[in-house]
Amino acid sequence: MEAAGIATVALSMIPDLTAAAGAPRVAAIEFPFGRPFGQPNDAAMQGAVLRATLDALRDAAMPGTVVHLPFEWPESPAEVQWHPKEPSPIIQLLARDPSLFQRLAAGDIPPEASRRNLERKP
Amino acid sequence: MRAATRPIDSFRYLSPASARIVKTMIAMASRDPVPWTPLPRPLGEATVALISTAGLSMLADPPFDAEGERQNPWWGDPSYRIIPRTATEADIVASHLHIETAYLQQDLDVALPLRRLAEAEAEGRIGRVAPSHYSFMGYLLDPAEFLDHSVPAMIERMRAEEVDAAIFVPV
Repeated sequence: MEAAGIATVALSMIPDLTAAAGAPRVAAIEFPFGRPFGQPNDAAMQGAVLRATLDALRDAAMPGTVVHLPFEWPESPAEVQWHPKEPSPIIQLLARDPSLFQRLAAGDIPPEASRRNLERKP
Repeated sequence: MRAATRPIDSFRYLSPASARIVKTMIAMASRDPVPWTPLPRPLGEATVALISTAGLSMLADPPFDAEGERQNPWWGDPSYRIIPRTATEADIVASHLHIETAYLQQDLDVALPLRRLAEAEAEGRIGRVAPSHYSFMGYLLDPAEFLDHSVPAMIERMRAEEVDAAIFVPV
């Protein structure tokens, strides 16, 4: 995208990963997954986070800039509900077969990740 | 407000197991030079687009293939959708299976702040809200097809709409 002449900024809740992935400008925020700009109907917070992200876009002077935004989430991590009510398919699969977690944690992505349908074994 | 000197904790909301996988992803990330394009014009004159990983689609469009992911949990739908600047939570479906989507379905601006961006346009902070914004499924363990097909298509549309800057918003 940058190569196409479009300047980018990422608003990230996992800035360590976003920066490692090569994002040129990162606005880092410690908000729970699913709500990077704030709570529903909190237009003031959403606007403040957007303006801070735009400031990071405007002011970053070098590739790999990470700006740590000062916003505080009002709930503790224990109070935050960000998980879906039904665990995601991969979480359900890993719960059924913990050996797959070891594989994923070692960075071994199976070839099934690139195909919609699982191959049936003969 | 938090102390500005305290750095963001990337792992605050992650379980130990998820944190371990993220740390593996960080360790395995490529060490290629970070790309860089300066903002092509002052922000107050720039056209800005939003890109969300929340798997958002318009009601009139096909949703992301959540059923395919249920059948094969390693796979994520590598396609993308266009979200017009006038879209609200009443117009969209969220197909992301890894987060609670109820919040953004209640108020789209928590993840895709089109109203807040329109306010920034009205205040002159940005030049213009792009006509089109974008969403894809953030859960892509193998992003090859997404990078080969969806990203070039999104870039082509952004160029056609003279987009100067994009705000990438993982959820």
